Amino acid sequence: MTTTSPPRQKVDRDEVFLEYTKSICPVCKTVIDAEVNVKDNRVFMRKRCKEHGQFEALLYGDAQMYFDSMRFNKPGTMPLETQTEVVDGCPLDCGLCPDHKQHACLGIIEVNTGCNLDCPICFADSGHQPDGFSLTLEQCGTALDAFVRSEGEPEVVMYSGGEPTIHPLILDFIQLALDKGVKTVNLNTNGIKLAHDKKFVRALAAFDRKPNIYMQFDGFNERTHTEIRGRDLRKAKQAALDNCAEAGLTVTLVAAIEQGLNEHEMGDIVKFGIKHPAVRSVAFQPVTHSGRHLEFDPMQRLTNAEIVHGLADQVPEWFRVSDFFPVPCCFPTCRSITYLLIDGDNVVPIPRLLHIEDYLDYVSNRVMPDMDIRHALEKLWSATATPGTEMNQEQLECAVCGIDLPEALKTVTDTAFMIVIQDFQDPYTLNVKQLMKCCVEEVTPDGRLIPFCAYNSVGYREQVREQLSGVAVPTIVPNAEGLQPVLLTTRYGSKTHDGNGNGHVPADATNRGQSLR
Amino acid sequence: MTVSDPTAADVKVCCATAYQNDAVALILGESYHPGGLTLTRQLARHLDLRPDERVLDVASGPGATAFLLASEFGVAVDGVDLGDQTVANATRVADERGLADRVRFHLGDAERIPLPDGAVDVVFCECAFCTFPDKASAAAEMARVLRPGGRVGITDVALDPTRLDAELQSLAGWVACMADARPVAEYVALLDAAGLTVTRTEAHDDALAEMVDQIDARLRAFRIAKVPALEGIDFDTALERVAAAARAVRDGIAGYSLVVAEKR
Repeated sequence: MTTTSPPRQKVDRDEVFLEYTKSICPVCKTVIDAEVNVKDNRVFMRKRCKEHGQFEALLYGDAQMYFDSMRFNKPGTMPLETQTEVVDGCPLDCGLCPDHKQHACLGIIEVNTGCNLDCPICFADSGHQPDGFSLTLEQCGTALDAFVRSEGEPEVVMYSGGEPTIHPLILDFIQLALDKGVKTVNLNTNGIKLAHDKKFVRALAAFDRKPNIYMQFDGFNERTHTEIRGRDLRKAKQAALDNCAEAGLTVTLVAAIEQGLNEHEMGDIVKFGIKHPAVRSVAFQPVTHSGRHLEFDPMQRLTNAEIVHGLADQVPEWFRVSDFFPVPCCFPTCRSITYLLIDGDNVVPIPRLLHIEDYLDYVSNRVMPDMDIRHALEKLWSATATPGTEMNQEQLECAVCGIDLPEALKTVTDTAFMIVIQDFQDPYTLNVKQLMKCCVEEVTPDGRLIPFCAYNSVGYREQVREQLSGVAVPTIVPNAEGLQPVLLTTRYGSKTHDGNGNGHVPADATNRGQSLR
Repeated sequence: MTVSDPTAADVKVCCATAYQNDAVALILGESYHPGGLTLTRQLARHLDLRPDERVLDVASGPGATAFLLASEFGVAVDGVDLGDQTVANATRVADERGLADRVRFHLGDAERIPLPDGAVDVVFCECAFCTFPDKASAAAEMARVLRPGGRVGITDVALDPTRLDAELQSLAGWVACMADARPVAEYVALLDAAGLTVTRTEAHDDALAEMVDQIDARLRAFRIAKVPALEGIDFDTALERVAAAARAVRDGIAGYSLVVAEKR
């Protein structure tokens, strides 16, 4: 009698292989190959560092939405000049290098590292720190000049930090930007100074082109404040907003959304913003796992998909998932926007009034759309869009006139409310495919324009801080669950790896430059 | 949808019980028929368009379909529409796009198409057939201008009048597109009686649901804007009716159909 073993069966993989790209090792920041896979309708990145092993992270929480967004991909526009040469390839040549696919819609200048808060969450790793930097007027001017040479007539500069309102020259910086032809200045702030210094608020409101206040606003629960900001700032936020309204300044509420903490407050933040006279837009940002942050699981992080679904779930009377459209100037999975027409409790998402995809689908829509409407929508669905500015107003009117709506409707566009959702890449999720088309750049005093997510993830932030402060800065590593045994806490509260020495320009360990024979 | 000229006879008829015509035109907009250009492309593929064929678009409106067919499928298009301003505008746009040699627009009525017998290979008619008061004449005219073996592609609202309750009856009078819509079987019979054999029908009810949704959004936007042309309109009632329309689509009483036929 013979026994036969059953024939061996081939087994299918439990994921769909989607892309092959480049990323970095989250620990040593070495450039490595990465693959993108879809499993259970979610999109993941997996990569392997020879030294530090395999890493996997969630890129996008809704694979169908990820695919659908791909057609909203506008051909990039070349900047007037680039600042670096292509030497080592993306992401080591920032920037911008001639290989970059898009000009800078938004330039961010971080004017200091000092802050009047020490938030447990801060991608800039700022705080009450004695060893940082504070830009001089000349340094700020050098950065602005680089931005102007690259952009011609820049739409928007954002002053950030640190906390830019405590920089003694911030009003001069704003004037300087306007003098150099920047159309709109955004001031990125925690609002504390605006709450307590009405004179300062009035000084901001005295500019011909008033800056828009881009204010951290994470929610209404005390716990939200203490966990994200380390202090209960609810009264200060309210006072800052009221002071802005009184002075005639417009405000964007910027909510960092931390999983399991304030996701459920998103709908309330929108409702609050719509009712407050100063607030013209809300920006939701899943907490960025660059710099300083709470411990997290890279497989369970929040992405744009969770934010969109969360808003539709929390305010079904106003929002549907289909009301949000990807921004085509950057890579379309990075940022989604919608606009609302509002009158009291009557709210109409503008995308329900026209077929946005007929104008912003650059891949499958082969018929030439009305170019005036396309241009207007491109401005609205971009990183430059700032509600309340004249430019934004004109674009809204033009887009609305394209919907064949009567004159009277154009006048209500000055009450249009913007909601932006932006997931920044971190050292786990960095994908050069997205990075190469980034249109939000950190402008540095040495005249470089460095894509925001490269600045925060690849090592440029550490490099620039070191240059400007003269103090050595450790390479920052994400505070991820799986890395806990090898993490050390830096003097700023962020994490580093004990094997990371100085020198922030990482090596390239992709298969480039090697051949089989 | 071709309600861009609110004085057009078809709209007058359809909207007999409706609010003043310019209000209806405003609310429906002139933008697109249900399904948009995506459904237009799908219809074009079902019709197997070949380069240099001649196509007639009945109720051509601003010309979006004509331009799409000419530029993507390489056909020559004659558009016919009731509105003289609409025809003039569409002609100007054809010029601007450099399509004047392939796309022409004519002032005319679906029941008296200004083209000779057997002149075209294919007839398009999107979201307009239901608004023609004399559907048998319109079908006969389509058959007349087609060459033998020519094809007709129609997308339109399909409505089951026997299942309309009182609320929806008033709705049908209110929304131009549903005014004189019939069940798909009746469209098939009308075409067949005109010598056009139906070879395909498809349901695209989601497209209608989306259109109703857009009307709902427009109404609410107009309420916010306090548009003078809509002064006196009872927005709450109007929105209730739109909601009833949405329910009718959901319950299968109202739908959107694609029909392809061939001339015998």
